[in-house]
Amino acid sequence: MDPMNFNFLCSEPAAPNGRSVGIIGAGPSGLAATGYLSCLGYQVEVYDKLPKPGGLMLFGIPGHRIPKERIDLGARKLERKGGVIFHTHTKICCSGPLHDEEGDHFCREILGFGDMVKKHDAIMICTGSWRSRKLGIPGENLSGVFSGLEFLFPIRAVKYSAPNVKLPDVAGKTLAVIGAGHSAVDVAHSAVHLGAAKVYLIYRRTSREAPCGAFEIEQLRQMGVEWLDRTTPLQVLGGSKVEGLEISRPGQNEAEVSVLPVDLVVTAIGETATPPFAKELGLENVRKGEVRWLHMTAIENVFVAGDALSGPSKIGKAVYSGLRAARSLANWLDLKAQDRLDAYDYNDLVTNEAGFRS
Amino acid sequence: MSGQKTLYIDYSLCIGCETCEYVCRFTNDTSRIHMTRTIDGVMVPLYCQHCENPKCANACPRGALKRDKDGALILQSMLCRGCQTKNCILACPHSAMFETDRGVMVAKCDMCAQRRQVGMGPACVEMCPCAAIRYVDRDEISALETEKSKLAHQKVLDHLKLPGKD
Repeated sequence: MDPMNFNFLCSEPAAPNGRSVGIIGAGPSGLAATGYLSCLGYQVEVYDKLPKPGGLMLFGIPGHRIPKERIDLGARKLERKGGVIFHTHTKICCSGPLHDEEGDHFCREILGFGDMVKKHDAIMICTGSWRSRKLGIPGENLSGVFSGLEFLFPIRAVKYSAPNVKLPDVAGKTLAVIGAGHSAVDVAHSAVHLGAAKVYLIYRRTSREAPCGAFEIEQLRQMGVEWLDRTTPLQVLGGSKVEGLEISRPGQNEAEVSVLPVDLVVTAIGETATPPFAKELGLENVRKGEVRWLHMTAIENVFVAGDALSGPSKIGKAVYSGLRAARSLANWLDLKAQDRLDAYDYNDLVTNEAGFRS
Repeated sequence: MSGQKTLYIDYSLCIGCETCEYVCRFTNDTSRIHMTRTIDGVMVPLYCQHCENPKCANACPRGALKRDKDGALILQSMLCRGCQTKNCILACPHSAMFETDRGVMVAKCDMCAQRRQVGMGPACVEMCPCAAIRYVDRDEISALETEKSKLAHQKVLDHLKLPGKD
């Protein structure tokens, strides 16, 4: 198999230009930026909390959708051809207490942000969206309620034998999966493969509106998953752990409330961005395009790209954001070295990029 | 005709992540591949298949679409000038001719002509995380097809309602 070629912009990297860039996060945006900058001859060092580069392409999306090998080969190519240095198991401190997000268990080293800014000519933050959205219903903090990421992440991560990562114990159990996006489908699919006795997929609208599409839902039903559409979860029942899920479905005249006897509940309703130091870096302004320089934060040599900036999206947007931020970063370093920062083309500002944030 | 290169997408492998579209946009300013989906959720990247019998070239009143040495159908923008007929856009059975507000008003895939000249392949192919899009000889396609890809392809054809199909 050919690599996912993050170095796609060049067949051979340019000669080293003597500059060093640190990239925080080795997901699609970070690796795209890495590919761009290493092609230009930058010494790129990539920091990631996980044991391997790839981010959620590797640890979130199941291997039958994105071949692991293709991502691995892409990262290896960056190392061998682009001279990129990967620091895995390394977290740049800190958006919250450690062990706050999925994947934090892997950290062996925590580096301070200040040291990073001094060590490199510029930094790019590509930390993605790792915090799961909450339903906001009673009982969702009971043991046995998982977010989609909490459920899916260990399935991939357990292969890297971190001490705190355990496969979700679903064999013989009954599961309710809430949501109908691709994560929800992946959770239901994985649960069936891990030997769950019964899986319900619960969605507030119908399969016609489901983000994953009716075809995926039909395939899950053929695997034995029970599809409950137009269903709203009201509360998770149980004392110390989950014993049931109270749901509401439209009846003849008014909504009918019933209880599903389930052992586990997985809420796959999306994630939010988790950038470190969002306030200090003035990310809200970057998001709106109120910046001196495309993708630059309030700290001059710190740039930001991907989901960390614009919230959860698709791999393609993350890649594009990483490429553009890398181009902007390289332009900035070039013009700064020549003392020509006022020659910057403001047409390139985020605000003029119609459709980018759609 | 052997020796002609084209792009081939296995729709059953595509997860709709839009990497092809955005990489194309970064490389060419205007994207020449566009992600859509069927009503039941099969992802359909609309892309130029550099057809053996190209309806766009036959429909073009200015002869602006020519095949290059590798087999790519190239839109010669100075002949096209975004002509008023837009016949090519209407003629394309794959919805792969794009109207744009940048430069000449029609954009189409040239299989990364500039990149090919310096020995690189199309950018979308390089970056697709799923290896769903391939840069292949037209003759190789039948060997790449699987039961799943054929099923997905049929769903896409039904969705696009190609002229001459029911």
